[in-house]
Amino acid sequence: MSKNNPILQVKDLTVSFNAFAGKVQAVRGVSFDLNKGETLCIVGESGSGKSVTNKAIMGILSKNAVIDRGEILYDGMDLTKLTEEQFCQIRGKRIAMVFQDPLSALNPIMKVGKQITETLCVHQKLSHEQAKKRALELMAAVGIPEPEKRFDQYPFQFSGGMRQRIVIVIALACNPEILICDEPTTALDVTIQSKILDLIKEIKQERNLSVIFITHNMGVVANMADRICVMYAGKIVEFGTCDDIFYHPAHPYTWALLSAMPDSESRERLFSIPGAPPNMLMPPKGDAFAPRNHYALDIDFKEEPPFFKLSDTHYAATWLLHPYAPRVEMPEELKRRIDRMVEEDMEYECK
Amino acid sequence: MARYVMQRLLAMLLTLFIIVTVAFLVIRLMPSSIYDDPTISAEVLDMIQAKYHLDRPLIEQYGIFMKNVLLKGDWGISMKIQPNIPVFQVLGGKVPLTLFINLVSLLASIPIGLVFGAFAAIKKNTMTDHGISLFVILFISIPSFIYATLLQYFAAYKFGWFPITYTVSDMASVKYLSLFLPTLSLALDPMAKVARYMRAELIESLNSEYILLARTKGFTRSKAIFRHAIRNSCIPVLNIVVPMFANVLGGSLVVESIFAIPGMGSLMIKSINANDHYLTIAILLIYSLVSLMTVLVVDLLYAVIDPRVRMGGKKQ
Repeated sequence: MSKNNPILQVKDLTVSFNAFAGKVQAVRGVSFDLNKGETLCIVGESGSGKSVTNKAIMGILSKNAVIDRGEILYDGMDLTKLTEEQFCQIRGKRIAMVFQDPLSALNPIMKVGKQITETLCVHQKLSHEQAKKRALELMAAVGIPEPEKRFDQYPFQFSGGMRQRIVIVIALACNPEILICDEPTTALDVTIQSKILDLIKEIKQERNLSVIFITHNMGVVANMADRICVMYAGKIVEFGTCDDIFYHPAHPYTWALLSAMPDSESRERLFSIPGAPPNMLMPPKGDAFAPRNHYALDIDFKEEPPFFKLSDTHYAATWLLHPYAPRVEMPEELKRRIDRMVEEDMEYECK
Repeated sequence: MARYVMQRLLAMLLTLFIIVTVAFLVIRLMPSSIYDDPTISAEVLDMIQAKYHLDRPLIEQYGIFMKNVLLKGDWGISMKIQPNIPVFQVLGGKVPLTLFINLVSLLASIPIGLVFGAFAAIKKNTMTDHGISLFVILFISIPSFIYATLLQYFAAYKFGWFPITYTVSDMASVKYLSLFLPTLSLALDPMAKVARYMRAELIESLNSEYILLARTKGFTRSKAIFRHAIRNSCIPVLNIVVPMFANVLGGSLVVESIFAIPGMGSLMIKSINANDHYLTIAILLIYSLVSLMTVLVVDLLYAVIDPRVRMGGKKQ
């Protein structure tokens, strides 16, 4: 799939939840590689399995979750087979995570300083003073003013953006190799969002981190991603580089996502995808997106499409790419949008 | 902090004043007068009535009572139970006994309840959890005097592990042993309540994101729970301590009678039945004082556990 050296490989990962009503198949055979130093964005609507995939990587799936199949390879280990004790040596130390809602991710009655230093004390066996010194450095590095004073404060004395910075400090404390960001800006207001995104980009560059970035906001994806996986109903339906996905989308679901993205030029009513995602208790036969897909073929309802190769980096799972399929172009409106995006990019680069 | 405590103490005095006033007026609404013994002649009765100002209007009697209380610290005398003895002298030896069984049962039930509740939450939906929850429901729904009777019958009478009733003895061990069963029967209900709340709160905390974050830091599940969830769950549990204590005090009225403990509870029932009004007021005062102190201690504990309460009033 990739000529680079992958730091993390997910192969055919299948996760389901034992619920009261039956088995909910949240992730159905997801495979991807994360290369060293890249940002991989996973996009998809709510319930598409993005978060579950990453919780599986972190080993923090809830108790009723079962990994049915597949492996997660990291540094010669299969993370799905580790014991809790072995996993604790990796979590926080080598793979860290930034959560969606900084308001609820911090313990409300513990000083933020202690919440940062306890990671250091666990993994690096630092003394209290050393840990504090390191925490203060990190706090300054992520742009928290007056770290000395802030160190002894409680989360309720911080604003949302500042709390997210604290969460990032906690994630960075032990110099991890991989950072998983699970919609880190969804709970923040727009001006803070861009600052946090810039911060994540900056620390990624500085520390040569590999980042998995989960979001449903295509605008954020465009801003962050090197490569993109589009997920729907527990499967990856299309993956490729940022340019592949934004300029040459091939899967009807990706078309729909891009059409549903507001932009300042469009005059038409904003597109919305009809219907609702399938019930994952009984995933549909064939292509899960078919019932909502304007371009669905007969075969989409019968058989699951395999991945078709569009280029070395770009693959999509849709029967539309089969040589025998009727030739279907992406919607006119989307085409105009993409042309505009390309133009804007050119202008931007000329400047 | 000191200022806050002073404010609270002043408010407590005001509350006590209102309680005593209401008690004084309401008790008099009970039928039958203090002295209605048919063997006493009308003249003697009149003299007694005059001596205790019982021939005056109620409001005037209240004025005299309050004047004595505020100026001389005189809360009146017992009229029936131990005639002519000042009420607090009557109460003297009985307050410590009652406070002992009430406070010990309360203080012992909280940590035990927390442990069982935490255990049930961590082992949610397993046999351990179901077992604990079953006992919790039993202990909450059955009133304390039923266990008191059962414990007395089985543990004391049948098996003879404990004295059947309160035993006065020079040996402290015998005395405290005889207080064990009443304390236990009072402790079961608050224990179950604390366990129930702790279980619910901890389950909520366990699903919180900060526990997930703690786990992504590299803590094992149990370590994450211990460091991050237990203390957080204790805060809402504190809420129920006050009503729970009121409940324990109520229960002890009956339990004291069952085990023949010469405490305030049985004295209160006796004094109400005997129309010994000043004694009743004094007992109510003690009960109110103890409850109000509990409320104050709980409120101060909030500030200790929860920084949001401690720093809420301060300017940043």
